[in-house]
Amino acid sequence: MGQFRLPDLGEGLEEAQLVEWLVKTGDSVNLNQPLCQVETAKALVDIPSPFAGTITALHAAPGDTVPVGALLVTIEEPASAASHAPAAPASAATNDGGHGPVLVGYGTEGPAQTFVRRRRAGATPAASVVASAPAPSAPATTSTLAATPAADSVNASPLVRKVAAERGIDLSAIRGTGPGGRIRMEDLDAAPAVGASGGRPATSTPIATADDEERISTVGLRKAIAARMLRAATTIPHFTEYAQFDVSALTALRERLRAQPDYADVKLTFLPFFARALVEAIRAYPVLNSRWDDEGNAIVVKKSISVGIATDTPRGLLVPVVHNAHTLDLHALATEANRLIGLARDGKLDAKSLSGSTITITNVGAAGPVDTGAPLINPPEACVVGFGAIKTRPWVVGDHIVPRPVAWISISCDHRIVDGATAAQFMGALVNRLESPDTLLS
Amino acid sequence: MVDTLGARAAHDSHPADPIAAMVNADGLLTAEAERAANISDDVLRDLYRRMAICRRLDQEGLNLQRQGELGLWGPIAGHEAAQVGAAMAMAETDWIFPYYRDFAMTICRGVDPGIAMTWFRGLTHGAWNPYEHRLGPLIISVGTQVPHAVGFAIGCKLDHEPTAVLVGFGEGSTSTGDWHEAMNFAGVFKAPVVFLCENNQWAISVPMREQVAGRVADRAAGYGFPGLRIDGSDVLTVYTVVRAAADRARHGEGPYLVEALTYRFQAHTTSDDPTRYRTDADVEPWRAKDSIARATARLRDRGAFSDDFERAVAAEAEETALAMRATLLSAATPHPGQAFDLVFANPPASLLREQAEFVAELEPGSAE
Repeated sequence: MGQFRLPDLGEGLEEAQLVEWLVKTGDSVNLNQPLCQVETAKALVDIPSPFAGTITALHAAPGDTVPVGALLVTIEEPASAASHAPAAPASAATNDGGHGPVLVGYGTEGPAQTFVRRRRAGATPAASVVASAPAPSAPATTSTLAATPAADSVNASPLVRKVAAERGIDLSAIRGTGPGGRIRMEDLDAAPAVGASGGRPATSTPIATADDEERISTVGLRKAIAARMLRAATTIPHFTEYAQFDVSALTALRERLRAQPDYADVKLTFLPFFARALVEAIRAYPVLNSRWDDEGNAIVVKKSISVGIATDTPRGLLVPVVHNAHTLDLHALATEANRLIGLARDGKLDAKSLSGSTITITNVGAAGPVDTGAPLINPPEACVVGFGAIKTRPWVVGDHIVPRPVAWISISCDHRIVDGATAAQFMGALVNRLESPDTLLS
Repeated sequence: MVDTLGARAAHDSHPADPIAAMVNADGLLTAEAERAANISDDVLRDLYRRMAICRRLDQEGLNLQRQGELGLWGPIAGHEAAQVGAAMAMAETDWIFPYYRDFAMTICRGVDPGIAMTWFRGLTHGAWNPYEHRLGPLIISVGTQVPHAVGFAIGCKLDHEPTAVLVGFGEGSTSTGDWHEAMNFAGVFKAPVVFLCENNQWAISVPMREQVAGRVADRAAGYGFPGLRIDGSDVLTVYTVVRAAADRARHGEGPYLVEALTYRFQAHTTSDDPTRYRTDADVEPWRAKDSIARATARLRDRGAFSDDFERAVAAEAEETALAMRATLLSAATPHPGQAFDLVFANPPASLLREQAEFVAELEPGSAE
């Protein structure tokens, strides 16, 4: 019986997320036949089978986070395999019928190692699959190595970090009084030391998981989103403005275009109209299409307009980019946006399609009956525009109240770059275009 | 394929260099130079065979890493012509100092692939005795093998040995101080060195334009010797040019820099995701220049390629890959304490004490 454990796929990784199985129980596989696809913090990779045989068990499901060293698949080998399979070195033989050593990286200790170094306090062997069996003790996040990333998000000088480590102070628990929340030496004096004489900071002690909690490990996209949103929320001073607009003319135009033969080849949503209006509004107020340059202490206004489209996908939020949107007409915008959204949902976007946006659209009403919201800017951009769900509402026309399709627009801006009045004028340009949408066809 | 080589400028920097005259504006061996070099069909077939085997071994390296059997693998696909062509161009008595990606050079020097692979399994710092194969160890710290090679070459010169030294590196190395110091030494002391830059245009994620202002080949002029950019995907060109440069070095005419322009088809290493910095569309024009397909075309032109030959090579490649796997997986894991043994000829007492402590710590029952 061959047992295959998840190897360390890239110099010190501790886990990977199973994306999909390319085989099923009962399949016979050849040596090096792709078994599954996993996503690590570094890349999406195919795992080839280490031996030939019949799959008898898959030990994880798509979406599961699998720690390095955890059992991935069991393969029963044909009786004749012994003549083909290389002899496993005696020194590395495992006691569970496994197939010789699997390099399990620096953070965990697999069963196959012959020479075992003294364990550091707090280190535990790799746990089983996180999602299917919440670990009773903490998973692989407890080694002293794994504690480092947490400390990295702390704003403190190397000296302060060193002194904190010596005193056993957990920097992540301290509110800094320096510029931008930086932790100063004085702040350490007020902080209580954790543990006795030179003990490890609190981050390295195992965190007990309560029975009614599930710990969801974050790798890949979730981790990337977290870092990006933290950057947006903590480094960009946001303000948000809201407006409502009458969607009647736009709805009518959309119906009219849908009936035209030259639009027969494209699914025409409201999104391309929003993108076209955005491009025109930026032409009037180019400063919204910019970024703050920290190093140069300058505003960098982009001449080309590339529109990011916040897209909900099975893997999480992705922002595919319609490059050079200012060069595209409505039909081309619709085609390109549809193509990108399709690729995003299938997880097939390349790096270029996911980078280079200069402003972003988010459809806050897409997933539920949401009128509006205050969106977070997609760093390093200056502005994000949110469109709410279109609903029929009472609307004042002349002296009468009439039912009209109405939607909210919200725009969040970087206040370092624009002030409220500029944003309001930009909003006015946007609303004018959307309420007189024939101008979007030129 | 427009301006993928831009080789023309090389002719300007050293107009009198007879080696530069061997290639045309595309960096390809001219018909005249090919006739003069008179490379036999058998040699060309052998170059093809070695490239095809190394490509299969490269694939197996990737498989083994994904199966947890290697700590790391640095794919060579795209480099076959540069590595095989250059290594086979050197005389048996010459020396080679490879960089980490030069796996095909180690195979050309007769190292058992399974033994060579133990380096990527972390079982050894060297894997072979350099004096047995006249081959330095694979070097992963960027550029440090270049001064090694130059120093060794100067030694050969002082000993009046007719030996040439080949050193391999990527274009990223040419940004390091070690590289420039070595180039300077080589130029000043006329070291018998052939510098082979395997310019695959990416230093991990850094593109060539952000690494080299101008061209690598032109840097040689600053150190007083010629440099030449050639098509690094054509094995016959690489073989012929490097052979001429090595002959030149052996005849006391000093160093030569060959910039073999090629492309890395795969990731930098198994720890890298190239889709984050380049697209398939970027790679595609280079796949069209693939070294094995071009060697096939050259052999067909000569009427020296058959389906039987192709099948036999493919079968040998498969067999070599499986044998490599078997040898690698049965290689003994050395005692970690051995790391202390190979640093000093006469280890200081303090180091021996540390070694004893380390070994004791690994003894069964010593774990806390």
